[in-house]
Amino acid sequence: MFDIAFDNVNEIIDMNGHGIYVWSVYSIAISIIIVSFIVAKNRIKGVKRKIKIKNAPS
Amino acid sequence: MFRLIKIESSKLFYKLKSWLGPMLIMILVLTAFPLSIDISQFDLEKFYFSIIVVSLLMTSFLATEGMFEEDYEDGSLEQEYLVEKDFYKVVLSKIFVYVCFIGVPIAFIGAIFSFANGVAIGNFINVFISLSLSNLLLFNLFAFGNALSINKGAMLGILTTLPLALPVIILLGTAIRSIQYGNSFLEIISLMIGMGFLISAIMPLIISTTLKTHID
Amino acid sequence: MISAFIHKFSSPKSFVQITKTLYPLFIFTGLSMLIIGWTWGLLFAPPDAVQGNSYRIIFLHVPAVIFAELIYFFMALCALMHIVWRVKLAAYLIKSAAPIGAMITFIGLFSGSIWGIPTWGTWWQWDARITSTLILFIMYLGILTLHGSFSNLEKSDRLMSILVVIGVVNIPIIKKSVDWWSTLHQPASISVSGGSSIDPSMLYPLIISIIGLGFTLISLGILSSRSYILSREKNKKWVLKHV
Repeated sequence: MFDIAFDNVNEIIDMNGHGIYVWSVYSIAISIIIVSFIVAKNRIKGVKRKIKIKNAPS
Repeated sequence: MFRLIKIESSKLFYKLKSWLGPMLIMILVLTAFPLSIDISQFDLEKFYFSIIVVSLLMTSFLATEGMFEEDYEDGSLEQEYLVEKDFYKVVLSKIFVYVCFIGVPIAFIGAIFSFANGVAIGNFINVFISLSLSNLLLFNLFAFGNALSINKGAMLGILTTLPLALPVIILLGTAIRSIQYGNSFLEIISLMIGMGFLISAIMPLIISTTLKTHID
Repeated sequence: MISAFIHKFSSPKSFVQITKTLYPLFIFTGLSMLIIGWTWGLLFAPPDAVQGNSYRIIFLHVPAVIFAELIYFFMALCALMHIVWRVKLAAYLIKSAAPIGAMITFIGLFSGSIWGIPTWGTWWQWDARITSTLILFIMYLGILTLHGSFSNLEKSDRLMSILVVIGVVNIPIIKKSVDWWSTLHQPASISVSGGSSIDPSMLYPLIISIIGLGFTLISLGILSSRSYILSREKNKKWVLKHV
């Protein structure tokens, strides 16, 4: 069960011609998820900054 | 209830654009389609129904577009909300009137056009029933969409209710296919009648809650 | 009693405080399980006898579509809570979950389309499961558009909740579409009630990926709900203290 299914790196990338489908799907999905995290983090920072500015002692 | 239906009927009668427009558009689309393609190369009998289904979807949306908007903007909806003890009855009678005076004639036009494109005369009534029932379902769903987006434009109404209308279109497609190939029509039509009863009972309640949110 | 319980534990303040503590745990569990599940699935699981290596998309596609439906179901529960008990937090959670739901449904649709090219020979088919998932995606967009259309946010919350509850009828249609209609899409290979048609060497990484993606999405949900709650409650004292 824990034997690697490929012999070398080229096989991993190529996956018998299916690599283009597999790797493109994973890379795009991972990028979307990472971007969502960055956007969410930035939004929290933005909201906090706005609240701080609004309530800063003049 | 009869009083409300009478009021809604007379209101709709004077809104010429609301009831005549969708019927004319239905006729226009169904006439324009065979003219726009080379009918000698296509088997019109087979796929003319798809055009009927799509134009039914389009016209039923157009028909319900201003269902609550005018009443909401001139304040009569608010007045009805305050005066009527059961506000959902107002919604129910509105939908009933729209289905009877716009939905059924549109279904009739659709059935006539399908008849003119090769459907056997014996199947005319089956096509008419399927289209009318679909219109009953679509009018209820689009009324909900228009209640949600009351004064925010038709696009929002489409976007919010089109996903709910697509299962109805799939069902209508199945009904039409069963008419064309002569199988299990009764089962599908019973399902549509059941759905019609359910939606007609529930939707006015949901729409009245939605309208109350706008008015409050 | 239910109402008292819900009101006690549904204040935005306590939600922000509790989730702030839980976030590191969730994100760590989620990401580590995703890495394990995907590495196992992509490199160690054997190739499929029929589909070859293209089946490896399953470790992303299946978790994505499972959560596309589960997120909507969660939103429907929140919508009911908002309509029945007027719980503010429930509306905030719907608004925060909807973009995540749209994103994961898009990933599910996209990965399914790409998977379709080597297996079905086409990237799109007007088939019951795919079409109903597309409807779910449009539903998410509709919910977001509806909420953004009104300046009165309390009104938006209520209308959005009504739409979410009505739209839940689509979930059983999507779930059962492969059984009700003849379709290219295969029926479910795993089920909660047990019984699976997948070999354990593929099933285990799949389960780990599902759990991993679940925790990752919960973490993302925590972040996006936190920012939304802070912006909606910005005039409250506790928010000033928190900031």
